[in-house]
Amino acid sequence: MITDVSIVSTNLNYKLVDNYKDYFVVKDNFKMEDLLKHKNVIFFNCLNNLEDQKVKEIFSILKDNQINFINVTNNMEQVLLTSYLKVYDKENVLIEGSTIEVLKSEKLLKRIGLELPFMVELSLLLKDYNLIDKIYLDKESLVNDLWK
Amino acid sequence: MEMKDIIKKYEIIGIVSNYKISLDNSLKVKDLDIKNLPQALKMVGLTEDCIDKFINDLTLSELFKVDLATKLNKDIIVIGGLSNYLNYKDQEYIKKILTKLNQDYHKYIIVIDENVKVFINLVKRIYVLDNKNIVYETSDFYDLELYKYTKMPKIIEFINYVNQNNKINKTLDIYELIKDIFRSVS
Repeated sequence: MITDVSIVSTNLNYKLVDNYKDYFVVKDNFKMEDLLKHKNVIFFNCLNNLEDQKVKEIFSILKDNQINFINVTNNMEQVLLTSYLKVYDKENVLIEGSTIEVLKSEKLLKRIGLELPFMVELSLLLKDYNLIDKIYLDKESLVNDLWK
Repeated sequence: MEMKDIIKKYEIIGIVSNYKISLDNSLKVKDLDIKNLPQALKMVGLTEDCIDKFINDLTLSELFKVDLATKLNKDIIVIGGLSNYLNYKDQEYIKKILTKLNQDYHKYIIVIDENVKVFINLVKRIYVLDNKNIVYETSDFYDLELYKYTKMPKIIEFINYVNQNNKINKTLDIYELIKDIFRSVS
């Protein structure tokens, strides 16, 4: 079972969360202790401006407590913090799968108006220049391999 | 310094802060105080289909655009939440509209957002406010002091990291970055 999911959409809508009736919906500020009372949690576009490290910590605590969570977001950088990604075009799922595999559908994502996370886009462009042969998700490994 | 002095000088400015749209959810779009409603909706990228929708039923993107439509006739347009309400394509579209409103209609624009990335290619100067007081201002996206108050855009984070041991140019454009990496490693 997939326990950590990101959802992005061409046009985010509160109705999106209606499909997840068993989930505790978080739309604004929250206390961690409140999340831990639930088995399933859905964040609706409310983690966007937190530092990645902070979001990682929240997700890590949820995983440690075996809580399934979905992060519905307009922040494409944050999709890298979950293992599974669903892309909605308005109200229909356009593509879904492991996050990295979905992000490889670069042209499709851009066509519908979504950007790629910076490291993924940088890796794909560097691949076009034959400077690397894979997608890097962290800057340290990429820089080490580029400037050997 | 008064806010009106700042915006006269810089015309489109960015303010690092969170922003929540506060339109009355019980109203329909047609009930809002929007002059020349069909034209205003068209200008912000909406169709007339929205006119009969309740605010509560709008998507986040529609909500942002309707909020902007309510402000089009103001001399000073204060708008916020681009990074939260809009996807990338819509962000770029709205940035073009705000630039047009500034350049062609001589509106002063204040853009409020927690994510400095949306200010790139839009604002001339960035202000950080704390309790309505300006605590920091800069026009340099590479000013590290700014990031004591907010998240650093990934491209700046990457270039700063590279430049710890190598030398590439500071840019805000990923295609320029790619060319520079190519020159540096080849």
